Amino acid sequence: MKMKKMLSVLLGIMLIASMILTGCKTKETNNNKDEETKTATETGTETATEEPVVESAKKIVVFQSKVEIIDQLEAAAAEYKAETGVEVEVWGTTGDDYLQQLKLKLNNNEGPTVFSLAPGSESDELAAYLADLSDVSFVGDIAANMADESEGKVVGIPYTVEGFGVVYNKDLIDASKMTSTEAFATMLKDQKAAGINGFSLSQESYFLIGHILNTPFALQADAKTYVEDLIAGKVKMQDTKEFVEFAQVMEAVRENTQNPLEVNYDKETGDFATGKSASIHQGNWAYGMFKDYNVGFEMGMMGLPLNGNQSIAVSVPTCWYVNSQASEAEIQAGKEFLEWMYTSKTGQRYLTEEFGFIPVLTTMVSTSLDPLSQEVARLTAEGKTIGWPMNAYWPAGIVDVYLVPVAQEFFTTDMTGEEFLAALTDAFVQAGK
Amino acid sequence: MKKKANIAWYLLFVLPLVLIFTTVVIIPFIIGIGYSFFEWDGMRLNEKIFIGFDNFAKLLTDANFLTSAGKTILFTLFAIVAINILGLAFALIVTSKLKVRNVARTMLFMPYLIGGLILGYVWKFIFSDVFSSLGESTGITGVFFNWLLNSKFALVALIIVATWQMAGYIMIIYITGIQGIPEEVTEAAKVDGAGFWQTLLKIKFPLIMPSFTICLFLTVSNCFKIYDVNLALTAGGPARSTEMFAMNIYNEIFSLSNYGYGQAKAIVFFIVVAIITLIQVSITKKKEVVM
Amino acid sequence: MKKTGKWVGEILFLAVCALYLFPIFIVFVNSFKNRAELYESMVALPKKFDFKYYIQAMTKMNFLKALSNSLIVTIISILIIVVLASMTAWMLVRVDNKISKVIFMVFVATMLIPFQTLMMPLMQVMGWARDTLHIPMLNTLGGLIYMNVGFGAGMAVFLYHGFVKSIPIALEEAATIDGCTKFGVFWRIVFPMLKPVTATVIILDVIWIWNDYLLPSMVISDKALRTIPLSTASFFGQFTIQWNMAMAGLMLTIIPVIIFYLCAQKYIIKGVAAGAVK
Repeated sequence: MKMKKMLSVLLGIMLIASMILTGCKTKETNNNKDEETKTATETGTETATEEPVVESAKKIVVFQSKVEIIDQLEAAAAEYKAETGVEVEVWGTTGDDYLQQLKLKLNNNEGPTVFSLAPGSESDELAAYLADLSDVSFVGDIAANMADESEGKVVGIPYTVEGFGVVYNKDLIDASKMTSTEAFATMLKDQKAAGINGFSLSQESYFLIGHILNTPFALQADAKTYVEDLIAGKVKMQDTKEFVEFAQVMEAVRENTQNPLEVNYDKETGDFATGKSASIHQGNWAYGMFKDYNVGFEMGMMGLPLNGNQSIAVSVPTCWYVNSQASEAEIQAGKEFLEWMYTSKTGQRYLTEEFGFIPVLTTMVSTSLDPLSQEVARLTAEGKTIGWPMNAYWPAGIVDVYLVPVAQEFFTTDMTGEEFLAALTDAFVQAGK
Repeated sequence: MKKKANIAWYLLFVLPLVLIFTTVVIIPFIIGIGYSFFEWDGMRLNEKIFIGFDNFAKLLTDANFLTSAGKTILFTLFAIVAINILGLAFALIVTSKLKVRNVARTMLFMPYLIGGLILGYVWKFIFSDVFSSLGESTGITGVFFNWLLNSKFALVALIIVATWQMAGYIMIIYITGIQGIPEEVTEAAKVDGAGFWQTLLKIKFPLIMPSFTICLFLTVSNCFKIYDVNLALTAGGPARSTEMFAMNIYNEIFSLSNYGYGQAKAIVFFIVVAIITLIQVSITKKKEVVM
Repeated sequence: MKKTGKWVGEILFLAVCALYLFPIFIVFVNSFKNRAELYESMVALPKKFDFKYYIQAMTKMNFLKALSNSLIVTIISILIIVVLASMTAWMLVRVDNKISKVIFMVFVATMLIPFQTLMMPLMQVMGWARDTLHIPMLNTLGGLIYMNVGFGAGMAVFLYHGFVKSIPIALEEAATIDGCTKFGVFWRIVFPMLKPVTATVIILDVIWIWNDYLLPSMVISDKALRTIPLSTASFFGQFTIQWNMAMAGLMLTIIPVIIFYLCAQKYIIKGVAAGAVK
């Protein structure tokens, strides 16, 4: 008798279970359809009702990739709550897997309200998730070409500008002499003779090859077309002057300096701070690495002198985006938070002083830039800047997956500059497929 | 009646776990198989294009995938041998009459407590900086140089770190096996005049065969799936020489956004690995002694 | 003579163990250094043992909250895994038919699936469970526990399965004749004999769940629900690590596990002794 009861209970469980299991497939497709129609109507209503009659949400979530500013951002969020009553929750992650986390969370509708991406191939891939920010009040004040636009609409608000190039020790290097590839190579030899490491890259993917390879691309008259032609096999790096000089620099680096594969970011900046390296290929973000050292010299930034280049690469590394899949109230609240950050006194103070950002609005000035950011601002004012085709035009993921292995081979074998360029060209062809 | 009752008991015992397991592992895996027939970047709102078996056809000509698969098999072979020998040796020592056995047991087990990421960074420092300076100060540059810049030695370094980390873990399972051997059996062997090696080979080994099956399987599955240590120690370098399989899939899915293709790779590899290990399990299972 | 030889052996083995722990020594000493000091030497002892990075790390991690979340998730997950996996494995061994074999094989085979390939579909299924069935699987500790049970099932069943086979069936038969239900047989007779393997399962799963980063990072978004590994994430930048914080955080993460292991070790020995009486 007891058994019979047990059996019926079990059969019941089984029935429910099988319903769940078999119901899964068909329901899921329905569900997807529901979602599709839902998003369709959502975007429909959005375009129909432009006027901001929407009540904004009382809580939003911010998720962003710059781990260095997390504490400061949380402090800003606390002040925002005190001022407006709206709660801003800041999610944390490691710098390495931010993009993967973001994608997973956007995918199952657990996405944050406001998030960050690198404008270019990253924001293109997620274009469907980016809300139109054209109606944010300060959009008109963003410096030219810095906002991320998609189909004529502003979707991304820039964090800051960052610049990278040769960061050098003014006591050891005379920048006015660094006008050609030869001069640079001679400098490396002289420094080596003096027992100093003339120039240093480091083993992390962008610091090893990504940033430095950006320069010859940026020096092309039309970097976008050049990348497309490169992928299509119409041009080759070996046949392009700036790249040939780039390879000469890399050969000189391999010959006269410490192997970058044995140097990590901590050591690269440590060697520079203690005067063991005369220059490093870095950006203004590296200044934070020096704060535990007593740096006893002045540092400056200059361009990598390929084909006489004097410019450093300056661009927007990251933009804020608002999640188009969030509710309208949340989208509104997200926009309001950005408004506050870029237009209120408190918000601006956080941007410039706490985050240490270089202002991107024409209406903002910063008086608290660190020495390297000052160099970026100075060179920008002098017009000595080139762009970042690496973010804008290179195929997504190419640096880590395709370029790093080639650079590692270059620095561990005696492959020639020409072979190096051929291998890099090949990497672009493969990655662009 | 009796039979029905037995079925009910069977379901009561087995079903709850099977249900949870199905929703967490099996269904996602099946959905994943479905996606391997699409060209898709993994984002819900982006377009999926059905391409049939194209992803699988592409695999056969993907040189990076094939070398990575080969390297993973090589790594796994050496790592399982090293891990099991060391783990078993540790287990035999800490179950002996040694006074320090309890302290030692905890010490040997500690490496496994440290997550792969930090551990990889620390070992990276050892293989590059410590080894280079040892080479400089001792002059034995044939052994002490930066291992991570040499494609062969980088793989050996990966094997060493994996062994270091997992030997203590495997030791735990061998300990359970060894302690399960009734004392009378080993005592009887001693009385019969069996030496240390004879006791070990003839008595202990056959009796810990079940542990051996388990350990072998666990090491195989952990080594094939190695990711954290790989990422932190070599990140696949130099020049892809240590790019293990999990990293190859991860890059395909998350760095290159080729979700469908990444799934296809994973499935093919899973099938190969599953066949190999199931054969292995059934072989070692046959050698087990029933008590 | 023999006695000194034995002592040499003991000391030698202890030395080997100490050498084995050299990497952990590095983690320990560097949890006290700033970047400049770390740059000077990674192996040297710190200038002073100042626990300020530990205190900073604890504040930033919201350590007590994270600790309690980790405890809840680890303890409940393991409790469920032990109960369900031991029951399942026992049944699969005792009812030796085709279905059992297939179920067992599936449990085992899935241990070989690389987790990276399950991440996206898993989140999809759980998102569906949340939207359609209104079971809050995402962003709840309960959801995380559920998924831990799912992922831990394979190994636990595998370990129990191997052990159950070595238990003589006679006792169970006797108990059945005495009128015990299967339930009674299992919990009164079989489960106590499984102690050694239960201890192994617990130890292995504690470490896995306690240290797991990837799964919780996908499931948990809320700050208040973060487990210990999630709470240290902000020490890891994209290009560099805040070494002192990260290493202090790591020490804080592993100390509870070491304490647990020291306690559990005694239990294993007892458990095995009890099991050996069979």
